Amino acid sequence: MVSPGALRVVRCGGSALRGARAVFSADCKYLLCASGDFVKVYSVSTEETLRLMGGHADLVTGIQLNPHNHMQLYSSSLDGTIKLWDFMDGIPIKTFTVGCELLALYTPAGAEDSVFVVIPKKGERDTFQLVSVKLTKGAGQDLEAKELSVVLDGVGASMKHIAFGREGAYVVSVKDVNLQVYFFKRKLLNRFSLSTVKTKGGDNHFSCVVCHPTEDCIATGHADGKIRLWRNFHHKKEYTYSTLHWHHDIVMDLAFSMEGTRLLSGGVESVLVQWHNESSCQKDFLPRLGSPIEYISMSSDGALCCTLHTDNRITIINSNLRFSRSIQGLIKSRDVKTGLVVDPRTKALVLNGEPGHLQFYSLQSDQQLFSLDIVQRQYIHQAGLQQSDLVKVAFSAQGTWLATVEESEEVTDPELQLKLWFYHEETQSFQLNTRINTPHDNHITDMCFRDMDELGGDSLILVTTGRDCVFKVWVMVEDTDPEAQQSVSWSCDFVGSYHNYQATNCCFSEDGSLLAVSFEETVTVWDSLTWDLKCTFCHPPGNIRNICFGRLTCSKYLIGATDYGFLCCWNLLTCALEWSAHLNVVVLQPDPLSEHIAAVSWLSKESSLFVFKPNEPRPIYIQRNLCKEKILLAAFIPRDQPEMISSEKYLWLRKSQLFFLTDTQELMTLSTKSLEERLTPSSKQLAVEESLPVTPFSVLLGKHRRQQAQEDIDLGKPVVRKKQEQASPAVRELLHTPAHVLPSASFLCTIFINSLLISKENKSAEEVADEVEMESEKAEDDSDEEDVTEMEQEDTSHMELLGETTCKLSKSQEKELRKIRKTDYSWISAF
Amino acid sequence: GARLALARTDGAVEVYNFAANYFQEKVIPGHEARSVESLCWAAGDRLFGAGLGGDITEYDLSRLSAARGVDGGGGPIWSMAANSTGTQLAIGCEDGSVKIFQVVPGGIQFERNLDRRKGRVLCLSWHPSDTHIAAGSIDFFRVIDVTSGQTVQRIMVNHHVEKAKCECVVWAIALLSRGTVVSADSFGRVQFWDWEQGTLAESHTVSTSAALSLAVSEKEDSIVVGTSTGATYQLQLLPVKLGGLEKRWVRTKPFQYHSHDVRAVAHSPTALISGGLDAQLVIRPLMEKIQKKGYDAALRKFTFPHRRLVSCARKARLLLFQFSQHLELWRLGSTEETGKDGEVLPLCRMPEHLVQLKSKGPEHIYCSCVSPCGTWVSYSTASRFQLYRVHCDGDGISLRKV
Repeated sequence: MVSPGALRVVRCGGSALRGARAVFSADCKYLLCASGDFVKVYSVSTEETLRLMGGHADLVTGIQLNPHNHMQLYSSSLDGTIKLWDFMDGIPIKTFTVGCELLALYTPAGAEDSVFVVIPKKGERDTFQLVSVKLTKGAGQDLEAKELSVVLDGVGASMKHIAFGREGAYVVSVKDVNLQVYFFKRKLLNRFSLSTVKTKGGDNHFSCVVCHPTEDCIATGHADGKIRLWRNFHHKKEYTYSTLHWHHDIVMDLAFSMEGTRLLSGGVESVLVQWHNESSCQKDFLPRLGSPIEYISMSSDGALCCTLHTDNRITIINSNLRFSRSIQGLIKSRDVKTGLVVDPRTKALVLNGEPGHLQFYSLQSDQQLFSLDIVQRQYIHQAGLQQSDLVKVAFSAQGTWLATVEESEEVTDPELQLKLWFYHEETQSFQLNTRINTPHDNHITDMCFRDMDELGGDSLILVTTGRDCVFKVWVMVEDTDPEAQQSVSWSCDFVGSYHNYQATNCCFSEDGSLLAVSFEETVTVWDSLTWDLKCTFCHPPGNIRNICFGRLTCSKYLIGATDYGFLCCWNLLTCALEWSAHLNVVVLQPDPLSEHIAAVSWLSKESSLFVFKPNEPRPIYIQRNLCKEKILLAAFIPRDQPEMISSEKYLWLRKSQLFFLTDTQELMTLSTKSLEERLTPSSKQLAVEESLPVTPFSVLLGKHRRQQAQEDIDLGKPVVRKKQEQASPAVRELLHTPAHVLPSASFLCTIFINSLLISKENKSAEEVADEVEMESEKAEDDSDEEDVTEMEQEDTSHMELLGETTCKLSKSQEKELRKIRKTDYSWISAF
Repeated sequence: GARLALARTDGAVEVYNFAANYFQEKVIPGHEARSVESLCWAAGDRLFGAGLGGDITEYDLSRLSAARGVDGGGGPIWSMAANSTGTQLAIGCEDGSVKIFQVVPGGIQFERNLDRRKGRVLCLSWHPSDTHIAAGSIDFFRVIDVTSGQTVQRIMVNHHVEKAKCECVVWAIALLSRGTVVSADSFGRVQFWDWEQGTLAESHTVSTSAALSLAVSEKEDSIVVGTSTGATYQLQLLPVKLGGLEKRWVRTKPFQYHSHDVRAVAHSPTALISGGLDAQLVIRPLMEKIQKKGYDAALRKFTFPHRRLVSCARKARLLLFQFSQHLELWRLGSTEETGKDGEVLPLCRMPEHLVQLKSKGPEHIYCSCVSPCGTWVSYSTASRFQLYRVHCDGDGISLRKV
């Protein structure tokens, strides 16, 4: 199963969804998003990621449906290629190599065999041009597309800065305060510019542009929150525009409904505004969408629209402006201050989410499990406003207690709060137990729990370290207040300090008997029962950045990393330095289930990974140049069951999986499997039937069928129903086979009637029928297996079959019919 | 050349000449008993006004006085409109009647009554071919055939509104040549109706407060609407598809030049003109209609009077202020310090209000003057001239009529 190949770094979440507007498939069942180097296919109804289409070597910058075939998708990327996908099957059909960076992609319906892309102008920096690319019709899969013709010069780099008008008759581009319209047929270019003067808080810079789908009207968004609707723009002088103004800050994106009667706009206010009939008085709002809106897109039937947010969330909204559902993977927060923490209960990754919230992110499903509001204050979007944010999180070993620290952004006098949350089994959520205002006089630097199963509930201790040069020990006490709703609360038990140095890190040994607290350059070890200082370690120069205890067989070792570029290992029994290595360690992460410790270093613009055991100074595994981005955080996530790993080298990945978070907030992991294996089989196959749009006829038929089934249930004829189900393949086969390959009606009639007969007779003799069923099921199983093999054959010789067998049944049909006949006879013989 | 007449709430009428840089050519002072609700030009250069006094007044523009008044015979007159040739005047009265007057040399002559319905007629508009009149009232407007005098269509405007319980006042109306009626109502809507079918074609809610006035350009491709928030809006008839024949009215530009209600608007070929309760006249040129950049392309606000309302007695350091019905005489304050231009100097003596002189009679003061020595004050109305001698003895001031 496992290939002995090298470990691969795999992106597994958090990729920015902000490359391009999302696209709905023609039937509104799937949502396609550009996500990093991939194109993701989501199911609109279940919010699941159905498919991940990879193949581009760089960021995907544009995705558009093929206007001539709605099952196909064009995607453009910074790697200079345009790919045509069959997104139902996830197959790349064609790759067109253009040869320069593609920044945006447009496929207006009017263009026959060309698409439009934005490329940087040769020889000039920061100037871009819109070119049309002729997509050559070649036989191969990889084609060159070098026929470029420039349409517009000096366009904006973002896809929001260009829009194609009604039926592709003209193209609009906005940049700074200039708007240009190019009419393809008349080859007329009109330029309009607004004043650059910023008066009364106004700022005329364009931020986005869209075109009315049926009328000649252009809507532009501006930096000061205005929306302008331009008309008559084929006149150089008599053009006119009207203004809509609600947003107080930049309009991030606009979208017209399919009929053009509604205009949607969104911005940093996280409010979706719907304007009716281009009137400034009739507007509806959908507020509290959580984070600034980056892109808005409409489905082709107008039933849904979706907004992409700056924190990588996708919100799907009904046409009546009701929130429908949201697809959220790893929410991008401004700054992950909490680090990567694993929730012991759900094995979810826990980190900063929305401002003031803690997100629980499921790695298996790439979905957010839930978001816990810690700060519990309204978040107001405003520049310069100082808000409280979550900075530290710790879970107790069983996940029953959660400690959080929040502080306001003020540097000099931070407003600190330590909160302790208890997991409530009934409500399945955390409830606030204790709130401690100003637990320390200065910023809290680290926090950890001691939680031993063997010692019972009394062993639960929380230690916090602060820049006010102390560490504090918090314990649970019985609540004496009779009016209190809870039986326990937390209070401070011990305050320790060391030479008035700032406390930076804390860590409990595996058995909980020792506490290590680092004070700038020194590591101190304390007895956790008596709170006596046992010994100190020091490795000057340089402050201690990270400390951790070894585990299992290596529990006598204490590991520390200094910001001067040293990794040290101290032996707690001899109180001496065991070994040290020169390494600029950014992240030090012990595996909770094994002795292994992962250290990530950052040196000369590349991150390297070292995995070692504390008892030997030689690392077990080294991977240099892990990724281009700086790795900020890492976490070991325990696997549900140990993975079978053949290679000795990767044995450390057996029990846990290592995840990294980069400074662009992309989550990565190491995988031993090849790319194909990682894809789950379920996602490989999308039923084609499912993708067909629902016609009124099928709705009617479905309703009828359902009604019938309902009636049967009401009449209490479970056997009949069973039999009908069994018979239904024959009927379905009959209905689904194209008319021109069907045999004559007289031939089919007997089969059809026979299939109906069985069910009726079976009802009278239930016992016998059971036996028959057993037999027939067996037969079915056999024939199913045969079917598979034969189907494959059929696929290869499908074309010939169509030609030859006009009055013959296809093999699978024959099989089906034979099966029915088989059951038929067996019943007779049994009778 | 083109002239603009405007009436103020005190009954004064002013005439501006477009050809001469919008100069305020003529001023007809107001009258206590005269209010002007509506003004119109007819039969060339003759100016008629009608008001809540119930009279139709012709203005003598050469003698700057109200010439003759003819009683409308239907109570207070709310609206008046002249037909396209300027031969007939229609007035809308408090009692719900619409009356037609013939413009004859030397005056006007009552011609006939049109169909009378309940409800005051607040606005009137002639069809450009003079066959029909649209008359706006409270909650409805109607279209009247001029030849038969019968109401041919009556359309309720307060349907489909949540606040239907409160009345919807049609403040302004316009009848376009293509058979469209444009109405501006107190719900802030500008609505376009096909009056023959009685159907609503388009509705634009331009404002949350009332739309008070509207004017249509001569080509009927642009409308200006004044609202009670002080904002004016332009609506333009624009093609739905470029080069296509289908056109639609689109609200385009908002202008906010007034601080209070915009009571009157006019649409010249190159500019939008509005006036309101803040006593300002604003002329906003339409940039796209002006060929060359110049003096015409600038926005004008008439905040200062064109005539002299303050006169100064240099030697006596007195100022005479002219109000519509009284004069005020002030003594200037003085200072002992000197300073440069633009500096504010402390006063050692505060300015002093010496005397207030009330004019007699219903007529308003047209002009006034104080002699340089400060001993003579004079004013005149349309019919009288008064001269006073000012005696200044110590603190006491006395006036003596000469």
